[in-house]
Amino acid sequence: MLLEIKDLFKWVNSGGNRIFLLNDIELTVNEGDFISIMGPSGSGKTTLLNVIGMLDDFNEGEYNFLHEPVHTLKEKYRANLYKEYIGFVFQSYHLIDELTVYENIETPLLYKKCSSAERKAMVADMLDRFNIVGKKDLFPAQLSGGQQQLVGIARALITNPKLILADEPTGNLNSKQGEEIMNLFKQLNDEGVTIIQVTHSEKNATYGSRIINLLDGRIV
Amino acid sequence: MIRNHFKIAWRNLIKNKGLSVINITGLALGMAVVILIGLWIYDEVTFNQNHENYDRIAHVLMHKTSNGDKRTRTTMPFPIGNELRAKYGDNFDYVVMSSYHGDNILSIDNKSLTKSGGFMEPDALRMLSLEMLYGDWDGLKNPNSVVISETTAKAFFGDVNPVGKPIKISNLLEVYVTGVYQDIPFNATFNNIEFIAPWELYVSSYSWVRNARDNNLWDNNSYQLYVQIADGTTMTSVNAKIKDAVYNNLPDGSKRSHPELVLHPMKDWHLRSDWKNGVNVGGFIQYVWLFGIVGLFVLLLACINFMNLSTAQSEKRAKEVGVLKSIGSSKRQLINQFLSESFLVVTLAFVLAICIVFLAMPSFNQLADKHIIFPYKNTLFWLINIGVILVTSLVAGSYPAFYLSSFRPVKVLKGAFKAGKSATTFRETLVVVQFTVSVILVIGTVVVKKQIDHSKDRSIGYDQSGLIMIGKVTEDYEGKYNTMRHDLLNSGAIVEMSESSSPLTEVWSGGSGFEWQGKDPDFLTNIVTVCVSHDYGNTVGWNLAEGRDFSRAFSTDSTAFILNEAAVKYMGIKDPIGKTIRWNNQDHQVIGVVKDILVESPFEPVKQTVYMIKYDNTNWIELKLNPGKSVSASLAAIKTVFNKHAPNVPFEYQFVDETFAKKFIAEERIRKLSTIFTFFAIFISCLGLFGLASFIVERRTKEIGIRKVIGASVFNLWQLLSKDFIKLVILAIIIAIPLAYYGVTNWLSNYEYQTEVSWWVFVMAGIGALMITLLTVSFQAIKAAHTNPIKSLKTE
Repeated sequence: MLLEIKDLFKWVNSGGNRIFLLNDIELTVNEGDFISIMGPSGSGKTTLLNVIGMLDDFNEGEYNFLHEPVHTLKEKYRANLYKEYIGFVFQSYHLIDELTVYENIETPLLYKKCSSAERKAMVADMLDRFNIVGKKDLFPAQLSGGQQQLVGIARALITNPKLILADEPTGNLNSKQGEEIMNLFKQLNDEGVTIIQVTHSEKNATYGSRIINLLDGRIV
Repeated sequence: MIRNHFKIAWRNLIKNKGLSVINITGLALGMAVVILIGLWIYDEVTFNQNHENYDRIAHVLMHKTSNGDKRTRTTMPFPIGNELRAKYGDNFDYVVMSSYHGDNILSIDNKSLTKSGGFMEPDALRMLSLEMLYGDWDGLKNPNSVVISETTAKAFFGDVNPVGKPIKISNLLEVYVTGVYQDIPFNATFNNIEFIAPWELYVSSYSWVRNARDNNLWDNNSYQLYVQIADGTTMTSVNAKIKDAVYNNLPDGSKRSHPELVLHPMKDWHLRSDWKNGVNVGGFIQYVWLFGIVGLFVLLLACINFMNLSTAQSEKRAKEVGVLKSIGSSKRQLINQFLSESFLVVTLAFVLAICIVFLAMPSFNQLADKHIIFPYKNTLFWLINIGVILVTSLVAGSYPAFYLSSFRPVKVLKGAFKAGKSATTFRETLVVVQFTVSVILVIGTVVVKKQIDHSKDRSIGYDQSGLIMIGKVTEDYEGKYNTMRHDLLNSGAIVEMSESSSPLTEVWSGGSGFEWQGKDPDFLTNIVTVCVSHDYGNTVGWNLAEGRDFSRAFSTDSTAFILNEAAVKYMGIKDPIGKTIRWNNQDHQVIGVVKDILVESPFEPVKQTVYMIKYDNTNWIELKLNPGKSVSASLAAIKTVFNKHAPNVPFEYQFVDETFAKKFIAEERIRKLSTIFTFFAIFISCLGLFGLASFIVERRTKEIGIRKVIGASVFNLWQLLSKDFIKLVILAIIIAIPLAYYGVTNWLSNYEYQTEVSWWVFVMAGIGALMITLLTVSFQAIKAAHTNPIKSLKTE
């Protein structure tokens, strides 16, 4: 078991009313799962993903990640946990505009204090694996959307995470590019990486092994 | 519409309280500094303008050359006044001979006061266009008259018209008041003149002046000369004509120093009073320029900070602009909106600035030794200020106004808005400029302080503790030395008393024509001479380096010399004790050498000096208080003795150490002013930096969020954000150091006795600048690093 969420609530107070963003969430994810979270706009998909990614907190409930009780951990320790085990992929890629492809992929390793030689080897490996060696000195603005997302995934994978969280990874891509990205996720999942994606597309959801439907913060 | 503009402007100010406070405070400080400096400069450049003909009045000076060195002096020979009138009369409206102005005793029956004044020819009143309250400009025609200032009149006669009342000068000269003039303003050279007596009285009362007149002495320079040139002439043309007026009349034997007359125009007296080799090299004007530039710079920095902070907010405001534009606001209305905002901020800042100026005025006056009054009645002052408000609002508000109002609504509403690269470069340049100036000012201030400390640490060669001096302002003390000394010693108030021709803190006389064995016959000597009583050495506590002090046991000491070490060096005599020096047709034997006594400027080397015994040419009394008794008791006892021997003379004394300390006033003032300006410059630079930091952080919010998600720690992000600023400040330091080095060495070259410019001053200023930068930037950086990344990444 990779993570387990029990009786989780998240709310905001607005003008005297309590609005539930996440309502009594119950979820268990095992290693090797490929889960798609679906639901209409405002149903809490991204919020749930952020909570799983430990970027956002919650008001009530339990969240255990690799048997660590996230809800009781200090901020700093929690940050270490997600840095170690989780990689993020975003709809709008979120590459750093001022850095080249190579540097974008290398940055997480800098923060992990890897030696220069190690970094070189790992980045080279990743570029090779994604077939973007020729683009390593380009800046994000010089790439197509699909290529940028490829770099985004490469950056998420460089630290060998156990879990990839992808928030509508194909939302800004055309259908052909989107298919390529989904195939890549499938392939990664086959290699053993756990993936949770948020998606609007029924088609993309079928790549996964399980679908969770959200409505008004509740699993239906 | 206008009302609406101000409403939105006001709400925006309230919404961003922190930024508004920074903005308004920064601007207010800048404006306050400029207003203060403006008033100060106005006071300096209008010096002496109270005299109606100030642009045609001049002080006549004389360049004299000795041993290749041209020195400029103010003293003139007696016959020069009549010579100018007789031979060059067409060029002048008035020619006024005058004595040195100094302290004198004025007294009526039951009252005597020390007042500063002098003797001048009758045209003085006309030339100086004094405002007569009683009497007229002919008040000095009668030789037994005196005109006095309003304050003096009040002090002696109250509110009664004093014209015709008798008054005594120096307990000696009986005169009648013939006029009262309004006090001369503080920003005038003649401000301290409290009475003017007729020149004729001076001539007839003092034998040495009479002697100069009767014998037509062209080579005895003891008098002052002021002139007003005729309408239609210029200083230069008149100057050229009278240049050799003294030289032509000198006996052949005295022509070697080639005296050359020069007119020093009244408008230059205050700000351009320094002469080097016969050329006017400015003077205080350099500080007027310096502080003027610094003041303007402070305001400019504050304005640019305002722009900086406003544009830094622009990404937040961009959305508002988008909304306003999409609902139909024109670009013009937006510009008006932003200009109203800047006008509001500038006006608030101005009100605050006026409060600051008003409150700071007394301290500023004290600091700058001024009597500036806040000119709240002056319409021009307010008009200028309103102009400054309008210009500042326009300058400070224009960039944000035109920049923000040109946003394309679709773009900014989509959230894809990004400020251009050029905006960043502009801000970076600004920060470099700000820090360059700050670092230069810090280095300058430290060096000024170091120079003062260096000079204060200098050995003064005598003991100032419990040493007081008293001017022998009247003849009442003459011939009473021994009896007074006896009485004072008996009272137990003092341990020793002496007399001397000049005070311990000034050089009063020098002589030429010294001859000794081995002297180069072409060498024109110029040596300071001090006449003292036998007990001088013991009283001031000088230190003998060789030989012995004056002693009553040797009758030959009446012609003996004691030299200071500087004199020994100057003359180049080896083993001076027992050597003979010839001066004034008499042989003088050197009996001792004393360590140099610091008399004049602590920033200059001590002049070569000879001390000799002479009881009939002394002007000062020195007393060494008994260290075993309380100072107040001793002073009371001394007063009793003085009142007994000179009953009509007010007992006025000064402590030598206090008088000595005044030698540092000018430098201390510069130090204090520069400290304040440095503080303002640093403060405003920090505001600029703070603005830039918030701008950069705003620009990089998304990047910071991404970096955080992929694993950056707070420390990583702090490093990332601070690094760029450190680079800018290091660049500023690199630019500042050579400029500062040039500046301070230039300033120090004004002084012959100067501190060294140590490397640690630069290192310290650099480290200080870096620390301040880190502190300022860290606040923003750490705040940004702690922001939850999901906020900054939520753009979809």
